[in-house]
Amino acid sequence: MRSVFLLLVFWVMPAYAASTEPPIRFGLTAVVVTENLRFLDQWSQYLEQKMGRKVELVMRKSYREVMDLLDSGSIDFAWICGFPYIQNREPESLQLLTVPVYRGSPRYQSYIIVPQSSSYRRFGDLKGKIFAFSDPDSNSGFLYPLSLMAEKGETPETFFRQTFFTFNHAETVQAVSEQFADGGAVDSYIWEYLAIFRPDITEKTRIIKKSPSFGFPPIVSRLGVNDDTVKLMKNVLEDMNQDPTGNALLGQLKLDGFRHSPDSLFNGIRVMANTVLNLRPDFVGLASE
Amino acid sequence: MPKFNPKSWPLAIKLSATITAVVTGVGFMIGAVMVVQDWTRSHEVLGEKAQLLAESVAITTPKAMLRKDYWSLYLSLKNMTSRRHEILTAMILDNEGRVQAHLQPADNPMGLPFSPANSIELDLFKQVMATRKPIVLSSGGFTKTGFQEGVIPLFSDQKYLGVVRVRLSVAQLYEESKTSAIIVLTLVLCFVIIGSVLGTIISRRMVKPLTAVTRALEAVGRGEMTDFAPIPIKDRDEIGRLSVTFNQIMVELAEKKMLEEEIAMSEKLVALGRITAGVAHEVNNPLAGLLNCIDTLREHPDNKVLIDRYLPVIDQGLHRIKDIVHNLLVGLKIEEGDEIESIEQIDKLHDLINAEIGEKNINIIWENSADKNLQIPAKLEQIVCNLLKNAIEILPDSGTVTFKMYRQGAYLNIEVSDDGPGIPANIRSQLFDPFFTTKPNGTGLGLWVVYRLTQNLGGVIEVESEKGQGSSFHVSIPVINTKAA
Repeated sequence: MRSVFLLLVFWVMPAYAASTEPPIRFGLTAVVVTENLRFLDQWSQYLEQKMGRKVELVMRKSYREVMDLLDSGSIDFAWICGFPYIQNREPESLQLLTVPVYRGSPRYQSYIIVPQSSSYRRFGDLKGKIFAFSDPDSNSGFLYPLSLMAEKGETPETFFRQTFFTFNHAETVQAVSEQFADGGAVDSYIWEYLAIFRPDITEKTRIIKKSPSFGFPPIVSRLGVNDDTVKLMKNVLEDMNQDPTGNALLGQLKLDGFRHSPDSLFNGIRVMANTVLNLRPDFVGLASE
Repeated sequence: MPKFNPKSWPLAIKLSATITAVVTGVGFMIGAVMVVQDWTRSHEVLGEKAQLLAESVAITTPKAMLRKDYWSLYLSLKNMTSRRHEILTAMILDNEGRVQAHLQPADNPMGLPFSPANSIELDLFKQVMATRKPIVLSSGGFTKTGFQEGVIPLFSDQKYLGVVRVRLSVAQLYEESKTSAIIVLTLVLCFVIIGSVLGTIISRRMVKPLTAVTRALEAVGRGEMTDFAPIPIKDRDEIGRLSVTFNQIMVELAEKKMLEEEIAMSEKLVALGRITAGVAHEVNNPLAGLLNCIDTLREHPDNKVLIDRYLPVIDQGLHRIKDIVHNLLVGLKIEEGDEIESIEQIDKLHDLINAEIGEKNINIIWENSADKNLQIPAKLEQIVCNLLKNAIEILPDSGTVTFKMYRQGAYLNIEVSDDGPGIPANIRSQLFDPFFTTKPNGTGLGLWVVYRLTQNLGGVIEVESEKGQGSSFHVSIPVINTKAA
């Protein structure tokens, strides 16, 4: 292991020894991208090659941690969820860079899933049960089911007997498939991704409700990052599907590419968040816990 | 059907059976102890393992419980199981017994009180909730479905939060113990077979000379001594020494038997000589007189006086020779015939004997208490007749002769006694010899004929006599089976 590490250092050093610029730091959470180290290595290498600078992928457990890193200027770019993106920040600290294209469109859904063997047919059947959320800052894994409850005038505490966060959509699917939870809210992109690579898990779950389409979790840049770098990163990402290596990486992610999209793409999430907050102002505290 | 009687088994089998039994008993006992010890030890190890696993879960549990991070609790159980197939179940309960995480979440929903499946589980649950120290719970017994459970209570700042339970199946242990038991038992079995075979061979080798001694002794008992082969001597132990002594005894016995046969042969020759001499003497004596008479008669063929005087002498002499020859024939060449007659024939002798008394004043006492329907061999008549004649002849002028006949079990007894002068001790051994007589005119064949007939009938004859007290002859012969007759 040690020799591999040394080799890597020697191989990397000549390329960047001359560069005095600090590395570009890119924040990620396990909520969106699986913790596949081999893929992350390949992707960071690809970005380094295209950017001509060292790129460091920074993995964190929750969106909240990634948002904090952005706020503190510790990272330059981040792949976050639409829900934290639309939240008001005073002053604004980030801007939309680009949005992944999934199955031809920069949109995705939230799935409410239950164990395959269960008798639940509707979201209402889950009252008094155990429910798994993904991340308190996740649109598909938290805000959407929250809106469903708000419509009924309920909160997670009143509607469910027990709730918990897995901080990982894939683990939400696991919790439901193993019947640790009676239901869960997951990102459609992750569920479909698992349906391809781990059908043994998704086969044990059943989708009882699909949300309307929302803007796909976007890539954002921190305000204050050099404009050229931002532009370069945007181009590199949006040109990935033109490059064989980039296309192969996208193939691993089951994404079509990255596309420039307007901020209005996330209006659906804005509307839903406002609805929830209007119905249950106490949710704010919950979401920002 | 042969009887199952171990007492009559050959020594070789008894010895090897004993060795086999001992080897088997010891072998299986050692095997059983090994298996039980192995099981107990690995059972304990499994218990410690269960406790260690529970402890490893318990390290991170209190923090996650306080944060209500149920998913982490569940994952901590789940991660522990991923590499361990012997885990039957594991759970984390809060201080009121509610499920915080369970490896079988479908049956044990999080947040609800844990519900034991049966009374045994309820008992265990009570123990689990009561303990404030790590313990190991065991299902006990040697069963495939048994388990060992590690129980670790959880504390945060000395406040009781709940408990971690990790239950490991003994199934694998059971299989391992079963395998090792089979191996041990197979080894023991091999050991037993080898031990038994060796035991059998050794005991057979040890007992072989004894078997030979026994067979030889049995042959000696049957009177067969000709085909005795000396027992080979291998060892100098007790059996070896016994064999040596036995061989010596057998050689001496064979020599003795040969000597006896030689003696018997010479005795036969002596008897033959005595008979020949007796015949020569007894026949020769009257012959001289007879020849003289015949010569005289030939010289005086017309002398009526001489004819009247000598013819009775010749007649008497020839009759004497005829009697001698007759008696000799009876004694030497007893007819094979076994004619049977009624016992009443014996009583007829009473009258005959009365006639023999003649001038003497002899009193005859006659007691016949035998069954009148009894059949007797015809030869008995002559035995009794000879004994009675002898008794009368031995009495000088007066006396008493007693005849008794009675049955005693399978024997018919005859007693003929007189109160005469008795038989001198120095001639008692010659009493039954042919041509031995004390009477002036006796042929010396009467008692010899009695002896030979009694022998021929399979009986015995005994004499009791004391000087001046008379003599008593006892004859015992087997009773003829009347039913068969």
